Amino acid sequence: MAKDVKPTRKNLMAIEDRIELSERGHDTLEQKRDGLIMEFMDILDQAQDVRSDLSSDYETAQRKIDMARAMEGDVAVRGAAAALKEHPEITTQSKNIMGVVVPQIESSKVKKSLDERGYGLLGSSARIDEAADAYEELLETIILAAEVETAMKKMLTEIETTKRRVNALEFTLLPNLYENQEYIEQKLEEQEREEIFRMKKIKAKKEEAEKEEEEQAAADAAAETEVEAAD
Amino acid sequence: MSQEIAVIGSPDFTTGFRLAGVRKFRNVPDDEKDAALDDAVEETLSDEEVGIIVMHDDDLDHLSRGTRESVEGSIEPVLVTLGAEGAGSGGLRDQIKRAIGIDLMEED
Repeated sequence: MAKDVKPTRKNLMAIEDRIELSERGHDTLEQKRDGLIMEFMDILDQAQDVRSDLSSDYETAQRKIDMARAMEGDVAVRGAAAALKEHPEITTQSKNIMGVVVPQIESSKVKKSLDERGYGLLGSSARIDEAADAYEELLETIILAAEVETAMKKMLTEIETTKRRVNALEFTLLPNLYENQEYIEQKLEEQEREEIFRMKKIKAKKEEAEKEEEEQAAADAAAETEVEAAD
Repeated sequence: MSQEIAVIGSPDFTTGFRLAGVRKFRNVPDDEKDAALDDAVEETLSDEEVGIIVMHDDDLDHLSRGTRESVEGSIEPVLVTLGAEGAGSGGLRDQIKRAIGIDLMEED
């Protein structure tokens, strides 16, 4: 980690730039994660409502078909089920929630009138019609649940990804960068102290040499004066 | 492209949906679920014309781990389960716990 980087000013500047970028990215991702969670909370409320509708619609539909089976017999119900001609269809469009593409499902031919069902008015009974009605209603709720639950799944995947990115920046990348920055700063300070110490040593040596030279020159000059005086 | 709804489960479970016009269905009798449900789900998952798969929540227990994970995590087609005690299918609830950190679907 820290020992892999060369302690140079250029590297320090590069690391400082990366720290700035990572901190900015971290803040942005945190905001995105919080925003996604808030959007998710809205969808969750909707999903819980749809889920409770789904449970009650399923219970009603089951009760109705059990009644139809009891009154008309299983064969008659299956016969009516096999005679259906119109089939429910769904088309999916998409909308964007904070960068997450979620589906909007539209359905057609879910609710059908008696003559569209195909098993004929004479060939069935009111019990079977009621069961078919209940199941058509259940299908509408299922389509709504599918839309909401797909949106939830997609948003959860995005929240997980964003959370992983935020954590990676917060607990791995940024600490490493800070460690590298500190290491380089310490090394550079150490180099600076060494440099100052060396300069001081050189200066002292230089001054000593100059002093010696001056003393030598003074001694030479004194000796010359003595010789001249002797002459 | 328009898609359809598919129902997988016991004949009793699928009949009602057929009454509502669903034509893509896979009947798997209760005693064959352990052996045949996996294949039925895999085939329906790979059908591009299917947009929504409807199953009973209890039937998910008959699936192998891999198939269960792929059907619960699938977005297209998306799985909607019926008859669950709590809100949402098990997979979704687990995913919420993992992503948010708490069980938001816990019953009060």
